Amino acid sequence: MKKLSTMLLAGALAVSVMGFAARADEIKVWVADNVTDFTNEQIEAFKEANPDFAGYDYVVEPVGEGDAAGNMITDVEAGADIFGFAQDQISRLVSAGALIDVEPENAEAVIAENDPGAVAAATVGDVLYAYPLTSDNGYFLYYDKSVVSDPSTLEGILADCEAAGKNFYMEINSGWYQTAFFFATGAQLTYETDDDGNFTACNAGYATDAGLVALKKMVELKASPAFQNGSAVGEATNVAAIVDGTWDASAAQDLFGENYACAKLPTFEGADGKTYQMSGFGGFKLLGVKPQEDEDKLAACDALAAWLSGEEAQIARFEAVEWGPSNLAAQASDEVQANEALAALAEQLQYTIPQGQYPGDYWSLATSLGDSIISKELSVDSSDEDLMAALEKFQATCESYAE
Amino acid sequence: MAKKMNPVAEGFYALGKDITDIGVTFADGDWKTRVSYLIFGFGPLMRGQIVKGLGFLLCEAAFIAYLLFFGGNYLSKFNTLGTVETAKKGRVTVYGDNSFLILLFGLLTIILIALIILVWRMNIRENRKEELLLRRGMTLPSNRKVLASLLDTNFDKTLLALPVLGIFVFTVLPILFMICVAFTNYDKNHQSPTNLFTWVGLENFSKLFAFGKTGFGSTFLTVLGWTLIWAFFATFLNYFLGMGVAILINKKGIKFKKLWRTILVLTIAVPQFVSLLYVYKMFANDGLVNGYLIKWGWITSPIPFWTNPMLARITIIVVNVWIGIPYMMLIATGLLMNIPEELYESARIDGATPFQMFRSITLPYMLFVTGPFLLTQFTGNLNNFNVIYLLTKGQPQSMRLTDNAGQTDLLVTWLYKMTVTDTNYKMAAVIGIMVFLVTAVVSLVVYNMLPSVKDEGGFQ
Amino acid sequence: MKKDSGSMKRNRLIGNTITYIVLILMSIIWLFPFFGLIMQSFRSYNPAVEYGGMVDYIIPKHFSLDNYRFLFSGETNYLRWYANTLIIAVCVSVLQTIIILCVSYALSRMRFKGRTFLMRFWLVLGMFPGFLTLICLYFLLKQFGLTQAGAVPGLILVSVASSGMGYYVCKGYFDTLPIALDEAARIDGASRSKIFLILTMPLSKPIIIYTALVAFMAPWCDFVMASYIAFGNDKSYNVAVALQRWVWTNDYQGYFTRFCAGGILVAVPVTILFMFLQKYYVEGVTGGAVKG
Repeated sequence: MKKLSTMLLAGALAVSVMGFAARADEIKVWVADNVTDFTNEQIEAFKEANPDFAGYDYVVEPVGEGDAAGNMITDVEAGADIFGFAQDQISRLVSAGALIDVEPENAEAVIAENDPGAVAAATVGDVLYAYPLTSDNGYFLYYDKSVVSDPSTLEGILADCEAAGKNFYMEINSGWYQTAFFFATGAQLTYETDDDGNFTACNAGYATDAGLVALKKMVELKASPAFQNGSAVGEATNVAAIVDGTWDASAAQDLFGENYACAKLPTFEGADGKTYQMSGFGGFKLLGVKPQEDEDKLAACDALAAWLSGEEAQIARFEAVEWGPSNLAAQASDEVQANEALAALAEQLQYTIPQGQYPGDYWSLATSLGDSIISKELSVDSSDEDLMAALEKFQATCESYAE
Repeated sequence: MAKKMNPVAEGFYALGKDITDIGVTFADGDWKTRVSYLIFGFGPLMRGQIVKGLGFLLCEAAFIAYLLFFGGNYLSKFNTLGTVETAKKGRVTVYGDNSFLILLFGLLTIILIALIILVWRMNIRENRKEELLLRRGMTLPSNRKVLASLLDTNFDKTLLALPVLGIFVFTVLPILFMICVAFTNYDKNHQSPTNLFTWVGLENFSKLFAFGKTGFGSTFLTVLGWTLIWAFFATFLNYFLGMGVAILINKKGIKFKKLWRTILVLTIAVPQFVSLLYVYKMFANDGLVNGYLIKWGWITSPIPFWTNPMLARITIIVVNVWIGIPYMMLIATGLLMNIPEELYESARIDGATPFQMFRSITLPYMLFVTGPFLLTQFTGNLNNFNVIYLLTKGQPQSMRLTDNAGQTDLLVTWLYKMTVTDTNYKMAAVIGIMVFLVTAVVSLVVYNMLPSVKDEGGFQ
Repeated sequence: MKKDSGSMKRNRLIGNTITYIVLILMSIIWLFPFFGLIMQSFRSYNPAVEYGGMVDYIIPKHFSLDNYRFLFSGETNYLRWYANTLIIAVCVSVLQTIIILCVSYALSRMRFKGRTFLMRFWLVLGMFPGFLTLICLYFLLKQFGLTQAGAVPGLILVSVASSGMGYYVCKGYFDTLPIALDEAARIDGASRSKIFLILTMPLSKPIIIYTALVAFMAPWCDFVMASYIAFGNDKSYNVAVALQRWVWTNDYQGYFTRFCAGGILVAVPVTILFMFLQKYYVEGVTGGAVKG
């Protein structure tokens, strides 16, 4: 009997709280915290320009690009209808069913108006799954002019930092930054995917002489007392130089003050005596739309995503928060051209490869490799065999993801 | 009946008795009782036991409604966990079966079926009881009395109803669900609602014990090893140091006892997400501690408190001492007062040194009294999520470990990462079951070794 | 003899001095992080004044209240997060205490069929790691609409629902209350519920305060469950979920001092409350330790 009454109670509770459930006429948008205000303004403009879609209730929530993908995958249903994310997440999102392909008409425009790298990043298999937002997810060097005299070689930068007792930051335990070394010496790592986001093949060349040169340089870098692992200006202390991206441009300006300067990544001299230009990924921020069960809502989402990633919105976003546009016309505008950080990035981008699709496990594997270097499990004292064994294991694991 | 039977035999015996009883009730009962076999509570209702009868009847009605409108559908798909795939109609998505909900509600339905059988049995027993009472010419208790008993002789049912229901829905059901998940392929490639997942038998367990290049085996053993080492140090280091501090503060002639205690207790009072996150930053390679040591010229390159695996483990244990000593100190302070002063007096007269007194009086007493507490501390530390996660998040990772595991990861933090970061639910479930086994084994073994269990007589 | 007692006195003096030194050193170590935390919270994040990220010195170059001003300015939902956490803490504290008292009383004072089975069963359940069921709890709550926008009541429900299993300390306390009192009252015709409410409750003040205090403090630190249930809905975060982003997420560069200030505002009231009720806490944990 008691059981029964408590069941009734639970039922009553359930009914009384149903009010919290998401409503069908609500369109949720997730963007990084620093662009929530900007996005709200854009949505107002969008509603004015598209009275058909003004009936929806648009809600913008600050969910960073890092969290967005994870949250979307946990529960697609409760996730945002439109969300910003970094391109490395796209295949995960596609295979979890959190992205719908770009509406065909919009797709044509996206492909025509954005730089090819950005379009490639938004494509899985042969299908365009997202709207490019920025082409600035690459990294280059910020440095303190008064400490670093010549930012063109890694050895020179480290010598200057050591002499001044200041730190050089680079996040070598990240799969994203690590490629600066590997791709520089010619070691490759790329994947092929089918249209559903499954990995079908892996082209890896890490367990090679080229890979060894790169890894040796990384352990040598770690051996410098000036080296610190990290890539966030806000968390770095006593900095003279940091490998970081445009999103930290204003933080770097605050930090370095009048000594603020940017440059492409330096060259380094490998163990084989050759000089290599540091490479890396060119990366992109994307905007995705979730699969919808309602046609009208889908149309609204498509239209809004196209609006938020269009030329005007990209220029406005650059003006508001200095995100570098992926739209070709926006890239050509005078203001974008005049930006120091974006200029350094543009120069660096010549040496990078546009980041394609990588399995989620790759990133954690790369962290393991980097951590092994930082913890000196792999160090300047390690034999070539040990280093090669680590690379072989790395490559074998990378290949195992594409089976 | 034999006095000692093994539990299995006992169970069968009870079951047999139950079945006979059900038969006897039917054969022996009147038509009201017989109808009750189909319509719950019919007998009590006809005999004027409105409260009880209505209760049984409502249970049956609710169950049938649940089965027809909700549970039955899920139950029928339970063996496949769904077959209808998600499809696209033009650009609109039409979701297919949701394996997650099928598993969850299928399981719930199975449990409810078991419960309704129990209610049915209670209903039959109630009929029998009433019939026998009436046959002996006694009257049945009034409805008012039945209700009133819920506040008196049956007060336990009132008190426990809500807690038991809550634990069932939010602990038992989820745990059973996750145990089931360990036998499915529910992971990032098989996620509801877009993709289906299904039963795979013992595949995940064989993956856990695979020692190949991509197998879990060696990683699992490494993490398990560190989990046990951590729990050992976290428990005993804190225990002895905490006791030591308590003895220091309680020493005769030491002033401001309350002040010292209050200062130490701060680490309990301040929420850990504030204090531990700050401590983490303090010891970072580029943090305060290294910064000052370099500035003062004591070291030239930063001490890798968090990035060197060995040092990270030591640092974690040391920081945990900072958190844990005050707790143990409070407990020890209370208990030390209970040791009769005469014991020390006589020892002193015999010329015992303070250390001897500690070893032969204080320590045995403390160990005896706090034995079970130490055990719960130990199992608690096996699952001590906050300290590890707020400090290192399990980092640093290593090429020697697979699947995101780090060198300071405990099984629980690894499990958490699998759930949240990798959405690898099937392996998280397997690890969860392993944690349970480890905890259970440790508890059983240690419990039987405890002096207070072995020797019920107690400390003289 | 006299010489002996003199040397004993000297020994004691030396011993005490060493003890004082140890205690003072310990106090410094124990207080240092809190001192640092407070100092950081007074460093301005305004680039014109100082820098809001990590630095390698403790004492700010300029003292400022900018961080606190930021928290109260409404630029973020800080006050909302704070209110959420407070609501959760108060509700959990009250409801959990009621449930634990009910369970403990039933298990301590009443003998019924299945009592030992229930206790053993709960003990076994407790051996499963807590975060195992995260995903399941999430979808269960979602069925009731208690995630995202409804995360605050959802969190209360989850914390309260399973609290019955934490009866050990309280039951241990009830076990020490003389059973003769109950029996006398029963002979006088008092019902069980009456005994529970009128006889046992007033005697249980220390354990009630202890249970409520422990239950009140836990939600301030709840990060895992809260972030998993409330994700994507800024307004239903609690302080732990919202503030950890300022340390861990790259979107929030230079928020470190603001994190410190936010943390201090959480820590101060909780700490003060704890200090006031410390006596009961000590009684509770000591009792719990002896009972196991």
